[in-house]
Amino acid sequence: MEWSVFFESWIWLGFASLGFAILFNVPLRTLWVIFLLGALGGTLKLVTMKMGGGIILGSFFGAMLVGFLSISAAHFRHAPPFVFAIPSVIPMVPGAFAYRMMLGIIKLTGDVDHTTFTQLLDDTVTNGLKAFFVLMALALGVSAPMLLTRRESAKQIKVPLKIDGLIKK
Amino acid sequence: MEKLGLNLSKELSEILLEVGALLMASGANSSRIRITIMRIAKAYGFNAELLITHRALMVSVSDDEHDLFQSSLKRTSPHGANFRMVSGISRMSWRIVDENWNFEQIWGEINRLKSLPHYPRLIVLSTVALAGASFCRLFGGGPVEMLVAFVATFTGLFVRQEVTRRNFNGYLCIFFASLASCLISGASVKLNLGAEPEYAFATSVLYLIPGIPLINSLSDLLDGNIMNGIVRGTNGLIIAFAIAFGMLCSILIYNI
Repeated sequence: MEWSVFFESWIWLGFASLGFAILFNVPLRTLWVIFLLGALGGTLKLVTMKMGGGIILGSFFGAMLVGFLSISAAHFRHAPPFVFAIPSVIPMVPGAFAYRMMLGIIKLTGDVDHTTFTQLLDDTVTNGLKAFFVLMALALGVSAPMLLTRRESAKQIKVPLKIDGLIKK
Repeated sequence: MEKLGLNLSKELSEILLEVGALLMASGANSSRIRITIMRIAKAYGFNAELLITHRALMVSVSDDEHDLFQSSLKRTSPHGANFRMVSGISRMSWRIVDENWNFEQIWGEINRLKSLPHYPRLIVLSTVALAGASFCRLFGGGPVEMLVAFVATFTGLFVRQEVTRRNFNGYLCIFFASLASCLISGASVKLNLGAEPEYAFATSVLYLIPGIPLINSLSDLLDGNIMNGIVRGTNGLIIAFAIAFGMLCSILIYNI
């Protein structure tokens, strides 16, 4: 198994999150945290997929890691957790599946013979379902800390790691 | 005294609606809007009930002491992600609770948050283009494909910003951006630049994916705000449709 590829994709995943962070106009102080969270979450997704977990389970684990880390990030960078979590999981959003499904639906309306139609329908339904379930896994993973601790705000969740005092100035 | 209480609840409901509308327009999910508004209302000793829809907010503020009841409605502006606003409002809501702010201070802070600058345009364009190139690399593209994805994303986002400034329909803006990106990356497929130009073609529109509407849709659905979830999801699907339509047009133009 080739593990060194993950170091390279780590960097690219980070840059992908960074681009979306800038597009969503996040505060400047959160940028490098988002780079880190996006890279870590994305790598966990790739590792899970490499171990044979599939894209849905991989996205779920990646998003859950991002979700938990975003709580500690929220405490020491002073921004709501979802400011960190959303740009970090956006690279995992199944955009390619979503528009391939749309492309498939558009093509289905054309004049196609029976075999092509069946093949197209097959691809379209697979892409659509994958997009839906990956999204579900992402949303569930990101909100997992809130759901599990049954708190309404991240401020009420105590961060077990005492990184707070160490990193602050 | 009675008059004072009435003015108080009227001004409070104005503030609550302004905060809610700003959060909705900046890309917060429904439960965050509800929690923030409840927190501010509670800080002043009022009960608030809230109805959240995609394009309008309704709040009812009531006070046990004075037997007052104030309902008002506000339309929200078109959506565009701005997390600096969300983060600023979240910090403001805690400071309202902790430091007993008066209404002038809140209005001052809201106006300050509204005037905060966005990142410089060139930086936005080049980082998002870099993100496009990164996606291309992750999908397995080489240096040539990455360059194509970079240029295609840069141009597409530039087109989107220009068209948005001219107040076109939001979905039409996405379509134009997708078409511009695909015309550039499609040319590389047509001319056979690089080893596998299809990767550049597939990744050059990824910066348009409706990530915030789709994730917010699912988190609203999980939260029980089924209506909001469905509305946001439909919005996301129409955006995906606009992207696919732009791709399809360029496929037809280049016949690839």
